[in-house]
Amino acid sequence: MSPYDQKQGLAFELYDSFKSADLSYVYHGQFTQKITDLIIMLAEINMNRTGESAKIKKRVFSIMVESLQNITRHQDPDDEYQGFFAIEQKEGNYFITTVNLIHNANIAHVEGLLKKIKSLTPEELKIYYKSVLLENELSSKGGAGLGLIEIARKSNNNVSYHFHPINNDYSYFYFHTCITPQEEGEVPNDTDLVQIDNIFLLHQLLRQNGVQIIFNGLFNQESLINLLNIIENQMAGLGRLKRVVFNLMVEMLQNIVKHGIKASDKDGNQGIFFINRKNSQYILNTGNYILINAKKPLIEKIEYVNSLNHEQLNDYYNSCLFDFQIDNSKESGLGLIELRMKSNNKLEYGFHPVDDEKLFFTFKVTVDSQEL
Amino acid sequence: MKPLIINAKEDTPKIVLDTDLDEFIISGRSLPEDAHDFYKPLFEWLLEYVKKPKPVTTFRFELEYYNTSSSKQLSKLFLILKEFPAKVRILWYYHHDDIDMLENGKRYAKLTGLDFTMISIPAVEDDSFEIVIN
Repeated sequence: MSPYDQKQGLAFELYDSFKSADLSYVYHGQFTQKITDLIIMLAEINMNRTGESAKIKKRVFSIMVESLQNITRHQDPDDEYQGFFAIEQKEGNYFITTVNLIHNANIAHVEGLLKKIKSLTPEELKIYYKSVLLENELSSKGGAGLGLIEIARKSNNNVSYHFHPINNDYSYFYFHTCITPQEEGEVPNDTDLVQIDNIFLLHQLLRQNGVQIIFNGLFNQESLINLLNIIENQMAGLGRLKRVVFNLMVEMLQNIVKHGIKASDKDGNQGIFFINRKNSQYILNTGNYILINAKKPLIEKIEYVNSLNHEQLNDYYNSCLFDFQIDNSKESGLGLIELRMKSNNKLEYGFHPVDDEKLFFTFKVTVDSQEL
Repeated sequence: MKPLIINAKEDTPKIVLDTDLDEFIISGRSLPEDAHDFYKPLFEWLLEYVKKPKPVTTFRFELEYYNTSSSKQLSKLFLILKEFPAKVRILWYYHHDDIDMLENGKRYAKLTGLDFTMISIPAVEDDSFEIVIN
């Protein structure tokens, strides 16, 4: 396989790994207060759209808040081993996983705490929570122990964890919870917890490929704006690069919103979006369903803009800009030209067969920050 | 004439078309899902205004960002302004280091032949805008 094929494979591979989930949203990178707020907001939008019950929403929120705090408190100051947050929704259950750095010296303490938490009944957990609160058995960073107990309480003790050594000083701490619509006190279903293995593999895949942010779910104008806000915050201070990435992202995501097809009756088109970095390159990727008969015209359009040189692109852009034969709510005819011009690279794409009606279309736009 | 005022949203710009003011204004971000629909009221208003325009119409564009479907609607707007029976001035604002936005303004100036003034917005909050005549 050429590197090109492998990259096309990545979008599909990632999408495929989420296939069973109705929604998944993964953030990998630097966590700031603002980004944390936006992540919570995105989850809220999605839960509102799927009409989630108030009770489940409340539990998901409090677990998200606690877990995100754990990540921000235990971030790598050098930003080499970045934090990870994932929320997945599957058949009414929510799975929240965080990965953050932990000092090897602290593992024994955290593991002891988690073992204790898992051995307790809901009633005992409540008592234990109060006693920890009173004894002020807080870690030096403040509150982490209490946060874990709180998460366990809110998830009916549906928690699992894993430590993965990085070097002599640090390890990754994987912490996974499941929120089910079950009543409190019901026995958690152990099979749900197997998911942590998938997350471990996903985390490795994201790290290997330098994936910064990944969203798998329903694309509509609302989720698009939220993702843009997150990227703006993540790339704050990067000047022109931020603007170009923002620009490319808008066009790529609106392509999914306008030209993708619905895989269900839900409010938005199913798809995946992620950005990965390779040295000075920022690579934007999308994957979404299209109708089989849309394939040929799409290839023709992409190949045409790929065949043009800078000057020809400019002329073509100008003529399309004032061509009102293509002027409707669906398209302007400018999107692909803009992507090609702004990225200064050829547009890459691939198709994966799905069924008799539709295909999975993967699309990749690369921008080199050194060329800007 | 009754003014047309649309407040900015996260994905749509602020629009102020008011004959009592010196300038017509479009400012902010424009990335609506349906730009065609969003700009419709603006065109309708202008087609009414053009029947009895002021001697000089100044139109201020202070866009931070717009998507390709909005750019098509801007083309349409400029073509309407191009047909005005009275004088039209375009003030095209861009963030001082946003060369893409400056280039966009130059492109429209070249393609429409309208009277554009490019105005750089300084980085620091400052009232003294540098005016560059193209």
